[in-house]
Order: sequence, then structure tokens, then C-alpha cells
Amino acid sequence: MKIFKPVLFFGFFTAILMGCSAEEEPVEGNDAANEGETEESADDSADEADEKTNGESDVDYPMETIEVVVPAGPGGDTDMNSRNISEHLQEELGEDIIVRNVEGGGGTTGSSEILNAEPDGHQVLFFHNGMLVNEILGLADYGFRDFELAGIPVMDEGNGFFVSGDSQFDDAEDFIQHGQEYPREASVATEVGSFTHVQLLAIEDETGADFNIVDVGGASDKIAALLGGQIDVAPFQYGSAVEYIESGDFKTLGILAEDSVDLMPDVPTFTEQGVDASFEKFFFFGFPPETPDEIVTTFSEAVETVVEENEEYQQASEDFYVSPDFHDPDETYDVMSEAYDYYEQLLEGVEADQ
Amino acid sequence: MFEMVQEAFATVFTLETLFLIIGGTALGLVFGSIPGLTATMAIAICLPLTFGMDPGNGMALLMGLYIGGVSGGLIPAILLNIPGTPSSVSTTFDGYPMAQNGDAGKAFGFAIVFSFLGGLFSILILMFLSPALADIALGFGPFEFFAVTIFALTMIASLSGDSIIRGILSGFVGLFLGFVGSAPIDSYPRFTFGFDQLDAGFAILPVLIGLFAISEVLKNAEQRGSGVSNTKKIQYKIKGLGFSLAEFIQQGWNGLRSFVIGVGIGILPGVGGGTANIIAYGTAKNRSKYPEKFGTGINDGVVASEGSNNAAIGGALIPLIALGIPGDTVTALLLGGLMLHGLNPGPLLFEQSGDVVYIIFASLIIANVIMCLFLFFGMRMFVKLLSIPQHILLPIIIVLCVVGGFGVNNRIFDAAALVFIGLLGYALIKFKFPIVPIIIGFILGPIAETNLSRGLMQSQGDFSPFFTQPIAAFFLLLTFVSVGIKIWQNFKKKIKTDDSTTASL
Repeated sequence: MKIFKPVLFFGFFTAILMGCSAEEEPVEGNDAANEGETEESADDSADEADEKTNGESDVDYPMETIEVVVPAGPGGDTDMNSRNISEHLQEELGEDIIVRNVEGGGGTTGSSEILNAEPDGHQVLFFHNGMLVNEILGLADYGFRDFELAGIPVMDEGNGFFVSGDSQFDDAEDFIQHGQEYPREASVATEVGSFTHVQLLAIEDETGADFNIVDVGGASDKIAALLGGQIDVAPFQYGSAVEYIESGDFKTLGILAEDSVDLMPDVPTFTEQGVDASFEKFFFFGFPPETPDEIVTTFSEAVETVVEENEEYQQASEDFYVSPDFHDPDETYDVMSEAYDYYEQLLEGVEADQ
Repeated sequence: MFEMVQEAFATVFTLETLFLIIGGTALGLVFGSIPGLTATMAIAICLPLTFGMDPGNGMALLMGLYIGGVSGGLIPAILLNIPGTPSSVSTTFDGYPMAQNGDAGKAFGFAIVFSFLGGLFSILILMFLSPALADIALGFGPFEFFAVTIFALTMIASLSGDSIIRGILSGFVGLFLGFVGSAPIDSYPRFTFGFDQLDAGFAILPVLIGLFAISEVLKNAEQRGSGVSNTKKIQYKIKGLGFSLAEFIQQGWNGLRSFVIGVGIGILPGVGGGTANIIAYGTAKNRSKYPEKFGTGINDGVVASEGSNNAAIGGALIPLIALGIPGDTVTALLLGGLMLHGLNPGPLLFEQSGDVVYIIFASLIIANVIMCLFLFFGMRMFVKLLSIPQHILLPIIIVLCVVGGFGVNNRIFDAAALVFIGLLGYALIKFKFPIVPIIIGFILGPIAETNLSRGLMQSQGDFSPFFTQPIAAFFLLLTFVSVGIKIWQNFKKKIKTDDSTTASL
């Protein structure tokens, strides 16, 4: 009896482990099969989309609750944007949608889960530019091309840099000039290997300025570090900094946009201050590889309807300072490819360092 | 301000809001008392429910869940030696021995009363001192965090049981478990052996529940198997609060110190209630005139643990309310909740949405009272739990643990990790290694490492700020002193025992 129990437990545990690994194996095959396929489907999907809209779709979708996997913690901007669109999307699709946060590994835990999920359209990833960076830096051995992209519902153009209210910097020019004259003196917050890190590298690349780039953690950690005077400059989405600007705790150096953004017309851009760097944070839906095109199309059309017609959704987005701006799957692919090439070039140095 | 408070209480004392607080507190207690389910999960599950409510009602529900969730953990800690949540780890140290000695009523009495007082203390601090304290918390950068964490790691010395060497080794096991997964800063995977599921590392809950619950169940199962009867009937006399006024007054200073530790640790983002109770317990033991009695069922231990974990609630809310910065996972969820209600947490929250802020305060106070009543009238029922035969109770607990492990991130991997850690914990207990240092190393190791790297990034590779920044230097000095005293004490003890052995020869 005494010997039996540990054996049983051990057996149970190995069974679980094997169960996990068994689930993963077929994926390797999927990956390879998929790489060839995405090229084709990009070409085909235009024709196919026409067919679908004529109501010829023979798949019954959705048939059950759809799960949106957000590879970030609750309360952040990815989470908020996903919940906002999901709430209205469920009216459109006629099935419940639940948002599930799968944190960890800079988003790779959540995204790899969808990569390995059942391709029946009932599990979908909601993520942002971070996915590109993960692939470029080798933190993930897969990338956006492995997913069946189902469109971008929202863009965040308020990628800005901010300083504390009593900072010596008043605008982007002051900041850049300081970085050129006193290399590595001004400390700028980031989360290494994140989207904001790429933005900083772009600014350095463009202007030749050199900053002391310091990791301080996520958005709320950056707010604390800037309020506490531990760093000189910090990047935020404009929406999460606006309260502190109103209270006088923060000043805006500028946002990385080409033209002034409608939602924040008075906010200066880096471009108009002579720094040619512009970034848009996009949030996209991605289905597991080999999800049937009919399903992806049904889903992305529902997203389009919500983004373009649902006023409640549009209002809520604008309240968060993000732009409801729909891109269909093909456009999404283009946006992401273009961003991928740009980031890859910026991150070349970082890769070499590591 | 007085008017605002009055108004907030008037809002909260409507039928609907009161019902939400009562329901929230009750549900929170259930989540807290089941090992594997925590306050964080209760809030994550109920958060979407609040979207349809007005902001005040939504917050009232969430505050009830928060208070209930943190407090409920004391029930299994005292009765079963299994902490219901990370916040009640050290409640098991003395609470369980008290129950085994037939003093369950007294253990509950102290735990409930000091949970209540700790909660109340921190809520009052939150109401009156939050802007000032939040400013102090902002002064904590990587250097300060690193120093505080290193100081907290010295608690291993006090919580190692008989052998400090084994305690330190256990601490290293914990540190190692914390290394698994993506490294801080550059996120490169460590010790994952190419196994993707390990990229995120081990979550705290599977480690905690595995170490404390699974290994405890295995220990019990083994006792049954070996024929040792577990059916000794323990008499529980429960009368009033279970303790006398004199005993209560004796705990006054210990209680107050634990409250202050709870609030202080709670304020620091990323550290939280799970650490507060361990540090408060360690401090109580270090400062006690009779440290050897700790762990045998002493009132001071229960008071320190339960006083500090509830005090950490108010502490964690301070940076959230004053600055919009969440201190732990629960407050991060609350932040999301506030934002979805169109409130903008930040420095202007008081000015722009003062009504909701005061409703939060009022709800906390009422939830605290309700928690106290529920537990007080419920404790007669809780002890009945022990009359359930163990072969029925323990499997149910295992199932709940595994469900809880899965619920952390909705991954079967976490459930498997929980079983693995449980077996590891069981093996270590068999070899007489204490398990508390594992959890201390596991929680604090990554915080120390992250902040060390961040500090070095900030200073561009220069170590000196760790010793020149006043707060950091103070805590590092404290670390040296406390380790020094410990070594000296051990040294003295050794001489004494050597003397006595030679004398007896």
C-alpha cells in the first residue's frame, strides 16, 4: 500500500506531462504546412471574400462561445481594447465572447497557446506590435505569418514621450539636443524588447542622440518611476498619461505620429518637431493556423461592422484615446509586414548585442 | 470631507449596495477559504459583472470580495494547516498547533479580531494619509526595492526551524524555482529545456498550494496508511471571542507593529500581502522575549500574520487611489474596473470622482465589519469541518487545489506544475527541509534580481548607488545587523550547549 501511492502519483504526473507534450507535437507540422499556405491565401482571399458576402458560406459559425485570448494582464490597454470590441462583437456574431488573460513571457505564452489551438474559430488571439518584436528578437519561433489574421479593429496613434512637470525638457527638441550633446545622460524608461523600446531605437537612429535606456517595467511602473523622479523621460500611450498631464505632473514632449491626430489635436508630434519617426500601435485578431477562410471572413466582417457602424464602440474607443480604424485581413498583413521590416532593421543592433 | 463621508455612507446603506457588499464579502470568504482559489480570482470573475452596474455599486461589490478573499484564508490555515491564500501562510505556523491543542476557538478569535482591526487601521490610514504615504512609496526605485527584498530574505533565518543550513538550502530551492522561465529584462528563457510551457515560469499559486496543500495531504495520507490513527477527538470550546481582555491587551504592541508592517509592505508595488504576513511573523518572532515558543501554538503568531495581511489591503490601495498605480494583481484588476467605468484613476481621482472614492472607503469599512460578523458566527460551523473523515475531506481538497491551479491562467500546465511542486515539497519535508524558506525565496528572488538589473541599468553598471541611496543603504545595513545578530545568537547558544554538555560529562 505504502509503495503504491507514490507510484500512482508519479504515473498520474507523467500522464499529465505526456498529455501536454502530445498536444504540442502536431504543431511543428502545422507551422511548416502553413508557411507555404499563407502566401496563397493572401492572393485567394480577395476572390473568396466575394463569394462569402453572397451568403454562400456553408460553415455554421459561430456555434459556441468564442474565447479571445489576451496575452497581457487585466487592466492594461490591450485588455481594455479587447474587452471593448468583444462586448459589441458578441451582439454582431450572436454568441457570447469571453476575454481570457494569459500573461507571461512578453506575450508569448498567450500567443503560442492560440498557435496550438483547435482551428475552429472559437479561440482567437488579440495582440499588438509586441508580436513582431518577439519574433525578431527570437523570443518566439513563430510569427504573425503563422496566424490567420482577421483584421485590425483599432489603432493607437498616441505613442508619446513624457516628462515630469518640472523637467528641464519642454519639447522633443530639448530632449533630442540633450541626447546629442550629453550622450547617455538622460535616462529614458522602457521595457526591454517591447514596442516602446523599438520607438526609442528609432529616435536614436534618426537623430544620432544617445540615451540611457533603462528598463522599469510596464505602463504603471513607468508612471511611478516618472512621478518619483527616478527617470527623466518615459513613453506612454497618450490615453494613460492624460490624467497626469491635466494635473500638471507630466508634460508631453510629443507623440510619434506623422500628422496631428484627430483625437488629440493639440498634442505636438515628433515629426513636426523635426524628428522623422512615426509609429502606430495596432491591435489585431489572429486565428490559429489552418482556420478555414470562411470562419476568418465571417469574423472579420463582424469586426468591420462593429468598428464602422457601432457608435457606442466608437465612442468608448475615443474615450480611451484610440482610433476605431478597421483594416481587413489583407491590409492587416501589409501593415504588419511593413512594420516587421522596419523594426527588424532598427533592432539589428540589439540582436547582435545579445 | 466629513460631508463626503456622510454622503458615501448614505449611498452604501441602500438595500442594493448593502446587498452587493454582503454578497461580495461572503463570496470572497468562500474563495479565500478554499485553497487554490484566491481574492484575485474572485475579483477577476466578478469584474465583468460590475460593468453593468453604476460605478459605486461595482466598487462596493469588488471591495467586499477583496476583504472577504484576503480574510477567508485563515479558516483552512487554522483548521487544516493549509493556507487558503498566499496571505495566510504564516497563520498556519501557530494557528494550526493551537487548533490541535484544542484552542481552535481562541485561534479564530484572535485571527478574526486582528484581521478586523488590521483592516480598519489600514482603511483609516488610506483615508487620511494616502497622498503623503504614496509620495514616500514613489521614492522607492530599483535600489531601494533591491535592498528591502534582501532584508526580507533574511527572514529565512528566523523561519528555518531547527537548522539554518537546511533553511538556507530550502531558500535556494525557492530561488531556483523562481529562475525558471523568461529572465527579467531581456526575457530570454532560462531552465526551460526547450519546453515552451515553462517560458512563463511557475506561477506563485501552484507553487504555494503545491508546497503547503498537496504535501500536507500526502503527509496525512501517509499517516493513515501507516496505521497511525488520525481520529483523535479534539474538543473545541468556543465561548465568546475565545480570549480574555488581558490576553488581548498583551497583543496590543505586537498587533500594532504587524498593522504597520502590513500597510508598509502593502504600499510597495509588486510585493503585497503574500509577503507582509511572513515578514510580520518573522519580526514578531525576532522581537519576542520567547521566540522558541513560536510554532507551538502561540497567540502572537496568529495576531502577527492575520493583523498584517488585512492591513496590507489598505496599503495596496494607497498608490491606486492616490496615484492610479496598482500595487498588486488585485489592485491592477480594480484599476481596470475603475477605467471601464469611465473613472480615470490618477492624481485627479479624488477631485474628479470623489464620490466614488468615498464609496470605496465606506464599502471597505462595512465589508470589514461584515467579514468579522460572518467569521464570528461561522466559526462554530467551520470547526465541524474537522469531523468530516479525512479520507473524504482530503481528496476534495486536492481536487479544489488542482482546479485552482488551473484557474490561475487557465492552463493545464499550471495544474501539473502544482502536482510536481507538491511532490517536491513532500520529498523535502521527508528530508526535514523547512518549506517556508522555499516560498520566501521564490517570491522575493525574482523581485531582487529584477531590481538589481534595473538598478545597474540606471546607474550604467555602477554598484555604488545601492550603498549611497539613503533608503537602500539603511535596509542593507539592517540586513547586515540582523544577520550578524543571528550569527552571534547561534554562536552563543552553541557555547552554552557545549558548556553544558562538557559540564554534564
